[in-house]
Amino acid sequence: MTTPTAPSGRRRSIPNLTGYVMLLPAVAVIVLLVIVPLTVIARDSFAISDPLGGNLGGFTFDNYGKLFDPVYAKTLGYSLGMAALNAAVCTVVGYIVAYYIANRPAKTQPVLLVLVIIPFLTDFLVRTFAWITLLGSGGPFITLLKLFGVEATSFVPSQAAVTLSLLYAFLPVAIFPIYASMRAIDPSLREAAADLGAGWWQTHARVFVPLSAPGLASSVMLTFVPTLGVFVIPVLLGGGKDPLVGNLIVTLFTEFRNEPLGAALSMVVLVLMLASVAGAGLLLRAAGRRNARAARNGKEGTA
Amino acid sequence: MERVTSWIARLVFVFLYLPIAALIVYSFNSSEVSYRFDGLSFRWYAELFRDQMLLESLRTSAIVGVIAALLATVIGFLTAFGLVRFRVKGRGFFLGAILIPLIVPEIVLGVALLTVFSTVGVPTGLFTLVLGHVVITLPLATLVLMGAMSSLDPSLSEAATDLGASPWMTFRRVLFPLLRPSILAAFMLSFTTSFSNIVISTFTSGVGTTTLPLRIYSSLKTGLTPELNALGTILVVLTLGVILIVGVSQMRRILAGPRP
Repeated sequence: MTTPTAPSGRRRSIPNLTGYVMLLPAVAVIVLLVIVPLTVIARDSFAISDPLGGNLGGFTFDNYGKLFDPVYAKTLGYSLGMAALNAAVCTVVGYIVAYYIANRPAKTQPVLLVLVIIPFLTDFLVRTFAWITLLGSGGPFITLLKLFGVEATSFVPSQAAVTLSLLYAFLPVAIFPIYASMRAIDPSLREAAADLGAGWWQTHARVFVPLSAPGLASSVMLTFVPTLGVFVIPVLLGGGKDPLVGNLIVTLFTEFRNEPLGAALSMVVLVLMLASVAGAGLLLRAAGRRNARAARNGKEGTA
Repeated sequence: MERVTSWIARLVFVFLYLPIAALIVYSFNSSEVSYRFDGLSFRWYAELFRDQMLLESLRTSAIVGVIAALLATVIGFLTAFGLVRFRVKGRGFFLGAILIPLIVPEIVLGVALLTVFSTVGVPTGLFTLVLGHVVITLPLATLVLMGAMSSLDPSLSEAATDLGASPWMTFRRVLFPLLRPSILAAFMLSFTTSFSNIVISTFTSGVGTTTLPLRIYSSLKTGLTPELNALGTILVVLTLGVILIVGVSQMRRILAGPRP
């Protein structure tokens, strides 16, 4: 193993077309079924709609303007609030769980991870209606409350049920990336921090949170905007009283058939997602630079 | 403080399993109504297999899932192979492009597909369902297979070539057997993703091609039945099966990255 194997030099030096040909089917799928459709709704979002919501073509900003109507603005505001709350809770709880798993013995870690994977892979609808069983009338939660003398009939539909179910749906998605970056942290850093007199709070604020920043950023990215698009949970656990943007999009496309307005709303969601991806990217680059500088300074200090 | 966070973490594990436990327990409740526990029975499981509409949607989901997962696995394999084992200019660009569906919120992708299908005049049905599901499973399959291929020791295929094996022989006798578990994992994960998808299906299914999640969703709008608890329990057991087939270590690598 002393001869440096020029990484498969022979194979990679053949600049043939085979590689590109192999990418062709995937490129076709992405272009035809992602890029083209997104371009079409981007175009539709500026189209003039007739009073019934039909697409008349042309160019207008009216659809985006309509989103400021109190009806839509209220849903948008409420959704952004719920999404921010969900992303924040998922990321904080995800951090706590990821830290816990990463600090178990190497043998227990896979077991705990599987315990997160099982609910994650379980059918989304099953995970959602299981909450109806749990919190609904006659469910275990109500029965338990009655034992303590609390009179209650059902927690479904309720805002609390929606919030819990959103957390339940997105928590695993938050745990995985945070755990992935937590696992890469040298465990001796914790002892080093303790030896240097850092308390729990300092150890996390100065060591673990900065080093797991990539995971935390991914967690926010994977929970914030996707929460906006959920439409099943507000209907099943909230009784449809407080719709999220997802419900609005579904209604605009399948019931009102107002494509231009639905397209504009979809574009808002898409742009928010792109912004959050870009934001996470910038944040990570800044963190990377800071860490590199810190490492350099550290080296100079010891030299 | 460390003790507090450890306890929070343990409670989160309880939180993750409370709904599932309730689902399983209530699926064996013989009573018609959920607030009375009349004893154990398999009644709702039997009921499930008599529900023609449900079985019909199960068939649709299985067909769509198998075709979409096969396509995603084959295309994902080609993509991963092209990116990992060939010198491709603009590798980062191609990889980024293939991962776009992971970033675009599913609901946006769903309405975009619906708009295009209706503009072009493609009637919604099995075909559009499969197309929609391929889009969301392709990045997944590609990532799983890329991970597996980059962790293969390159000297293995070099040894085969040095021993006189043709590129095809090398692929068939060395690379393919080594990659088989990951190919299976890519397929199973794509199938599971397709099978439980509701967002894309909402916009791409047509009359007579209601998928299982869509069927469950529409019957839930009128109320939860014990039959659905039985169905949910079966789906949880199937999930365990998928995890066993894919394997815990592989699952971990896929979701939490390679060993640091």
